[in-house]
Amino acid sequence: MPRFTTVALVAGAALLVRRAVRSRMTTAPLWPMPALDEPVSGYGRGSTVPRKALVTSRGAPADGVVELRLEGRALPAWQPGAHIDLVLPSGLVRQYSLCGDPADPTAYTVATRLIETGQGGRGGSREVHEQLHEGVEIEIRGPRNRFPLVDSPAYVFVAGGIGITPVLPMLRAAEAAGADWRLVYCGRSRATMPYLAEIEALGRPGGRVTVVAEDESGRPDLGFLADVPAWTPVYCCGPDGLMDAVTEAMPEGVAPRMERFSAAATTGGTAFEVELRRSGRTVRVAADQSVLAAVHEEVPGLMYSCRQGFCGTCRQRVLEGEIDHRDELLTDAERDGSMLICVSRCAGKRLVLDL
Amino acid sequence: MSNTQPAPVASEHVELKARKVSFDWEETPLHWVPGDPFTTHTINVLHLLLPAGERWFVHVYRQALPYITDDRLRADVIGFIGQEAIHSQAHDDVLPHLREQGLDPTPYTAQVDWFFEKLLGDRTLPPGRPRRWWLMERVAMIAAIEHYTAFLGNWVLNADELDRVGADPTMLDLLRWHGAEEVEHRSVAFELFMHLDGGYRRRARTWALAFSALVFLWQRGVRFFMENDPTLLDGKASLGQFVRKGRQGVLPSTPDMLRSIPRYLSRAYHPSQEGDTAQAAAYLASSPGANGGR
Repeated sequence: MPRFTTVALVAGAALLVRRAVRSRMTTAPLWPMPALDEPVSGYGRGSTVPRKALVTSRGAPADGVVELRLEGRALPAWQPGAHIDLVLPSGLVRQYSLCGDPADPTAYTVATRLIETGQGGRGGSREVHEQLHEGVEIEIRGPRNRFPLVDSPAYVFVAGGIGITPVLPMLRAAEAAGADWRLVYCGRSRATMPYLAEIEALGRPGGRVTVVAEDESGRPDLGFLADVPAWTPVYCCGPDGLMDAVTEAMPEGVAPRMERFSAAATTGGTAFEVELRRSGRTVRVAADQSVLAAVHEEVPGLMYSCRQGFCGTCRQRVLEGEIDHRDELLTDAERDGSMLICVSRCAGKRLVLDL
Repeated sequence: MSNTQPAPVASEHVELKARKVSFDWEETPLHWVPGDPFTTHTINVLHLLLPAGERWFVHVYRQALPYITDDRLRADVIGFIGQEAIHSQAHDDVLPHLREQGLDPTPYTAQVDWFFEKLLGDRTLPPGRPRRWWLMERVAMIAAIEHYTAFLGNWVLNADELDRVGADPTMLDLLRWHGAEEVEHRSVAFELFMHLDGGYRRRARTWALAFSALVFLWQRGVRFFMENDPTLLDGKASLGQFVRKGRQGVLPSTPDMLRSIPRYLSRAYHPSQEGDTAQAAAYLASSPGANGGR
């Protein structure tokens, strides 16, 4: 009968183990697996979920301009110069600079000037003016920042009309940081220039603001730009004519920092060079070519998938150079030293990649 | 290469590319299969396992890339990596929605995170053979898991019963978009394993590991959800329920699942013999979530 004893012993032991495990699991149902101290899953970027915002107030900071306050839940933080995409009711997607308070996580503020189709409008601003009333819910994307304010003890700003929107939070930030700044703010007439009163109040103590209304004093005199020291960043946003004039008025070899919201701004850009540090080669990226396309010819095993800046497969480490981020995925911390080479470009003349 | 290479079905090969997706969870109720918390939570376990699991696939495959000597396979693996990255994000984005509805998944997902990032993560191994062994072991595990993701993908594309019982359309779209991409890329993991190693003993061993891990994690996940669901007083999960729901057609049927086991272990197995790429492509073309959320 030794076999019977063995069976009985094993069965008894199994029952005991079962009871012990059961009672252990009733007190701690998730026993016995360890957990990661800082959970990763469930705290992602939310990049596959549309972000909704509700128009909660509508104002008119100038003739032909509406200001919208868009409230949403857990809106991502942003820095002066950032913009968001508005997905308009018709499906059109348009970029608007944020001009509210970066410290407010409950709402974004944007301002839009109505541009008629005859004046080069593409229908977006008309939709904002006619359809985005209080209580309307829309989808927003971003924020993204292609016009970041660098740290500096001094700044020069040139804004034209509605181009003041990205510059306004910059002025507030520069003033709060105690920087030495000046602004040339131009427009057709004082009545069409948004936020004029606030800006004049902000600049009154140091005489920092020059307002140039075309109906009073004609075109702005940009001659002073030739004397701006090369280390002082010059920020410009406004109509194409103004941005071209600023570029021309700058000293040789110094470029202003500009934000353009024309159709051309989202595709292509300027040509630049990419150095591949590890392979010791340098490739030229043409204006209508992506970094990925240019580098792919040199490094055949390169990883990429969506080619539209949302999957993150092509992310590469950047060792030197100023990145023009155009993706929809990376966080600010990730943008510090890496880029998605399928869409993002170079804000200067040269990038160095760890490839 | 210890055994003969099984023949892929050539017509089932497509170029793989990540698709941009958008799913709005605002209208999705907690029990998105109406009146059926057990089915809801059994499928919800996917959201617990996949964010960490598919991140791990990407992590392992990035390490396997340099060993690939076939250009077409490399392109497939890269496409696979892109698709898996999006799958992981999409399921991850369901979790905050569960939390908002009073069912915080974090105690469970933190364990799944540990499972994939620590237990199955990169170990401190001497370079050379030990490291390569651990990489091959994981590549083989992924091939076994992908057998089941393709099985589930194929199932959900054909699970008309879920439509009939009125399941939430957004959740169904997520599952079917994901299922369709799993069907679309179902051969990649297996082909990569056959290309890099292909040993039958490793294939059988890692299948046993992956299958037991899946069963263990899945039943645990369902029990976790049923016990913590704030709307259920005495939520219980049992194997009997699973079999019954499988018979009804709102979950995969148990006999079907059992029958898929010998298929993977057969020496003539190739994933392209199961599932229908054309059906997957047709769904992807019409999926609201995979076409800009319209």
